[in-house]
Amino acid sequence: MGVKKILLACSSGMSTSLLVTKMQQYVKSIGDEAEIWAVGQDQAKAEMAKADVVLIGPQMSFLKSELQKEADKYDVKVDVIDMVAYGMADGKKVYEQALRLMGENQ
Amino acid sequence: MSQSMFDKLSHVLVPIAGKLNNNRYLQVLRDAFMLAFPFTIFGSIAVVIMNLPFLDKVMSEGAIKALQAALGVAPQATMNIMTLFVVFGIGYYLSRSYEVESIFGGAIALVSFLMVTPFSTSVEGKGIVENVLALDRLGAKGMFLGMIVAFLSAEIYRFIVQKNFTIKMPAGVPPAVAKSFSALIPAVSTLTVFLAINIIVTQVFHTNLHDAIYKLVQTPLVGLGSGIIATLIAIFCIQILWFFGLHGQIIVNSVMDPIWNTLALENLNAYTKTGHVPHVITKQFIDTYTVGMGGTGMTLAVVFAILFFMKSKQMRQVPKLAIGPGIFNVNEPVIFGLPIVMNPLILFPWIIAPMVVTLVTYLAMSSGLVPPPTGVTVPWTVPIFINGILATNSLAGGLLQLVNFAIVLIIWFPFLKFIDRMNVRKEQEAEETPQSQSA
Repeated sequence: MGVKKILLACSSGMSTSLLVTKMQQYVKSIGDEAEIWAVGQDQAKAEMAKADVVLIGPQMSFLKSELQKEADKYDVKVDVIDMVAYGMADGKKVYEQALRLMGENQ
Repeated sequence: MSQSMFDKLSHVLVPIAGKLNNNRYLQVLRDAFMLAFPFTIFGSIAVVIMNLPFLDKVMSEGAIKALQAALGVAPQATMNIMTLFVVFGIGYYLSRSYEVESIFGGAIALVSFLMVTPFSTSVEGKGIVENVLALDRLGAKGMFLGMIVAFLSAEIYRFIVQKNFTIKMPAGVPPAVAKSFSALIPAVSTLTVFLAINIIVTQVFHTNLHDAIYKLVQTPLVGLGSGIIATLIAIFCIQILWFFGLHGQIIVNSVMDPIWNTLALENLNAYTKTGHVPHVITKQFIDTYTVGMGGTGMTLAVVFAILFFMKSKQMRQVPKLAIGPGIFNVNEPVIFGLPIVMNPLILFPWIIAPMVVTLVTYLAMSSGLVPPPTGVTVPWTVPIFINGILATNSLAGGLLQLVNFAIVLIIWFPFLKFIDRMNVRKEQEAEETPQSQSA
């Protein structure tokens, strides 16, 4: 599958950017390769064409159906990040969540 | 409240939040205000420099006057004509959301707004001066008219474009030329509507739309938004939404921002002229005194309480992650990590503390103890104390935040302690169990 591309989105891309660092650390530690980046909700639609999977912060859960509609065009899955994993900035858990979603895609 | 009741409420709130957030007009309004943001920051920096509190001690009066004359154009060209950015932004983003040529949508909105703006103003002692635009009509005073005209004009424009009443150029004509021709009929029709409206208002009613909308719409709405009751209701809604894990500000602010921003502009206009401000509650009041203390719910105090007074391992995980972002008012680690979301033990302090602090701040400012925010834009990520000083241009503004910090701490403390004790007991039990097995 090559480099996995994971897009994170929240209100302004600030709190998800915390998670990006944690996820990248985890990805490196297990020797995987992934491109992970965070954006605000207004850019999410424009950026999702470049992504394999889109994860949104739990505080934006109401965006899921709207974003999924757009993501269907690119055959990309959108999901809400698990609340506890988000709060604890648990890079491992969120990365695994992303992998699971991508697995469903193949 | 039981967990199932929370779930039920959440099922009601999530779709409402989604509808509000995804509403086309509110989304456009939010983006349009963001267009003005970099410019208002630029203007704000100039205002802060011009009004540094120690300036009169290090500079002569003449030098201060020269400095103010030199920098004065910065807020004039940015914040004082903010309505122009908002009008253009609404026209642009609304057209874009309908996928019609957006740059023309923005320009048509701007011209439509100017079409209903008087090109004359009355100056004391000189009567009516022709061929000028009054600056205040392009700023705070014209804000609501600007929003109304921009939305209407963009709707008319896109309607005509989508109905295909446009001139089509043959292939081979350069795209820029073809685009300006295809915008011709929609532009002419839209502007005709606003010209006609302006003729009726000025000739039949002998007034202008600016004064009419200002009196009939803006003054009552802004008056409502500047009251403490409306503000407390807004804060309550924000806290409740976050309790259900939804971004409260995105939803509530999209309704309140036009009002709070207008109040802030009025404050700034008065401040640069007289040094005094008319309103206590403004955009900066909300940003600095409800968000600017560690994020929504003023959670920096909560993080400190845990760091210094709580013992359970589970709780002590929170400050490790939360303190860095918390200083810059990002607090998702507290909200989802403590967690605050759907945690009935925390519902009470989560909602009461911000309301008490808002009330205390309001009373401190309306009584004259602490000066209200001047209206300069301070980004919401500026840390506590510094943002308080910048927003009010006084040390008292920062000190008030420290008092508020203590209030939040006191309200939260018994609840945190209760949760902490439960956690400690659980952790001890978990430690004892394997030991007894090995023995």
